[in-house]
Amino acid sequence: MAYNASKNPTGDLRERLYLPELIRGLAITTRHFLRNLFNPRDTNVQVVDRNSRNLVSTVSYPEEKTPYPPGYRGLHRLVPRDDGKPRCVACYMCATICPAQCIYIEAGEYETVDPVAESRVIEKYPTQFVIDELRCIVCGLCVDACPKDAIRMDTGLHTPSEYTRSGFVWDIPKLLQGPPVSHASDPWNKRQSSAPPPHQHREAHTRIGAGLVPLKLPGGEPQKRTEVTDQPIPVTRFLKD
Amino acid sequence: MKALQVLIAIGVILGAIFGISAATYALGGWIESGFPVLGHVLVPGGLPGWSWTINLVVLLLVFVMVIATFLTLAERKWSAMMQDRIGPNRATIDLPGLRGRPLGGLFHVATDALKMLFKEDFRPKNADKLLFNLGPILAFAPVLALFAVVPVGPVVDVGGHRIGLQVADPNFGLLWVLAIASLAVYGTSLAGWSSNNKFALLGGVRASSQMISYEVALGLGLVGAMMVFSTVRLPELIQGQTMHLWGGAVDVPGLGVVDVGIPAWGIFLQPIGFVVFFTAAFAETKRAPFDLPEGESEIIGYFVEYSGMKFGLFMISEFAEVVILAAITTAVFLGGWHLGFAGDAWLTERLAGHGILLGAIYSTIFWIKVLVLCYLQLAIRWTFPRFRYDQIQTLGWKILLPQALANIFVTGALVLLDPSLRTLAVVGFLEIGFVLALAMRLTDTEAGHAAGDAQHSADAHGQAPAPLPGPAAASHH
Repeated sequence: MAYNASKNPTGDLRERLYLPELIRGLAITTRHFLRNLFNPRDTNVQVVDRNSRNLVSTVSYPEEKTPYPPGYRGLHRLVPRDDGKPRCVACYMCATICPAQCIYIEAGEYETVDPVAESRVIEKYPTQFVIDELRCIVCGLCVDACPKDAIRMDTGLHTPSEYTRSGFVWDIPKLLQGPPVSHASDPWNKRQSSAPPPHQHREAHTRIGAGLVPLKLPGGEPQKRTEVTDQPIPVTRFLKD
Repeated sequence: MKALQVLIAIGVILGAIFGISAATYALGGWIESGFPVLGHVLVPGGLPGWSWTINLVVLLLVFVMVIATFLTLAERKWSAMMQDRIGPNRATIDLPGLRGRPLGGLFHVATDALKMLFKEDFRPKNADKLLFNLGPILAFAPVLALFAVVPVGPVVDVGGHRIGLQVADPNFGLLWVLAIASLAVYGTSLAGWSSNNKFALLGGVRASSQMISYEVALGLGLVGAMMVFSTVRLPELIQGQTMHLWGGAVDVPGLGVVDVGIPAWGIFLQPIGFVVFFTAAFAETKRAPFDLPEGESEIIGYFVEYSGMKFGLFMISEFAEVVILAAITTAVFLGGWHLGFAGDAWLTERLAGHGILLGAIYSTIFWIKVLVLCYLQLAIRWTFPRFRYDQIQTLGWKILLPQALANIFVTGALVLLDPSLRTLAVVGFLEIGFVLALAMRLTDTEAGHAAGDAQHSADAHGQAPAPLPGPAAASHH
């Protein structure tokens, strides 16, 4: 329906007469008017799938809601375990990475003899887990940072409105919601106690440094091994005078 | 389902128009025969000629004002439909049966009126109090007064009295329209000047200069119609348009002999006059694309300092002007209350003894034409962008005025040449056909048009421009 205007309107009789173009414009307007007047509005919330003769593309919001795309970052939730406690182990990673600094965590320590067997293999849990939803910028970095899949933004909800600022400070009772999540790799599914596992778990670079993995360098130079020491590295080495 | 609802709504509107028209005729007859109640006549001898009082009330306060009021809603709802939006649909009344049903935004009319009435009526500190209050009145009153000479229905026999649907039938008919239409500018100019606001003053000055420019074209656009029908009285103009230029009687089985033909409507005889008058009158209503006096994106306009019901008067007078412009155009160019093409004589003959019924049917036809023209004005307002100020003056003085003058001369010559008006009608049909053919050819060949454009641009850019002859070429030497 796109109309290509004449390249040279001064030489075009239709455009110079002006009236035919006016009639044409009125015809377009009236066509839209009649189509929208006599055809019922398509209320399919997926606007691109609408195929009614009615051309209105409005989604009448409070009554009709467009579904959010998968991966939409909604309101936070603390993911519960199967026993209803939060999966969170109070590692502070989310609070550390949060650019808006809206997450506040206080860690508590499980007793070594916990009546709940699952908790026996975990050392820490959050006694306080607070998110200030007004400060949150909904970037989703906390979800990426979490090593235990304990915080998610999969609720598909907006932060509901409140009358006071303090109403936007969400704590564990409000955050802990949604279906519980369990993984085969969860500590409480793999281990029996909080004692260190029998195998020595080291990261790759540590093993290179320890000479466990041969480091190949171009030129066939003999490898210079990194000094591995148990002594703490003095911090003053990195400070300027 | 939606189509059915729309048709029902249209039917309700037409039924209301029909009913009110019939009631007006009946009340007019009742007044003229002196208020007979149960066989007892209150005024012995009756009040012959006093049916204009009921016409005044019903035509001005019921028809014009109610249609103007609903046009405020239509402006928003129809524009929404033209622009593929939903439009106003939030106002509802919390009563059983109405709860949660916006009825197409019908209640927004009430909310608008309430808002206007209850807003603060503010007057700037240094504004001229008298003129500031006088502005909206002077803008509103002439608009309503314009309608006094428009005949809405035919003069029919009601209980032995000749009752028409016209407030006044002076022998200067159309001249009244021209005289009173130019009065409305005093309201806007005074409003702009007395507001003590430079933007309001700019708007008022723009309004007055626009009015002056288009007043000329407005008058000259009507001159052709006056010449053709040799009258300035609107009922005679309408009567003249009932004549069939070409036509005859067709024997329709079951209906009898029905008269069929092409009527001598003003739009067929005076297409240029119609365009000039409609454009000029549209400019007089100060609505987009001629809303320079308002100019809401540059200056807010002559009513920038007005609020509450005073602003409401300006707004409602704008919509009343829409209705009245449509009514005058209908009366002068679209055959008034006549069916036109077929069945007028047949209908009059069949309903000879039922004056009220005949009048109400014709009045309904008149209002249908008016509503269609109201839609046309709203569609124009929502289709075309606003003119620049110099374009407005150019259109008024350099395009409409010469066209109107040429039209008058051509019309005069053709009327002298052929008093049966058939030559004039042939010329008119040729003009209409020419414009429509140009408009149609553009719509039906999108692909051919695109191909033509490609060729066009090749001409413009693909080839080297031909060397200019004469001085341009000589200047190189």
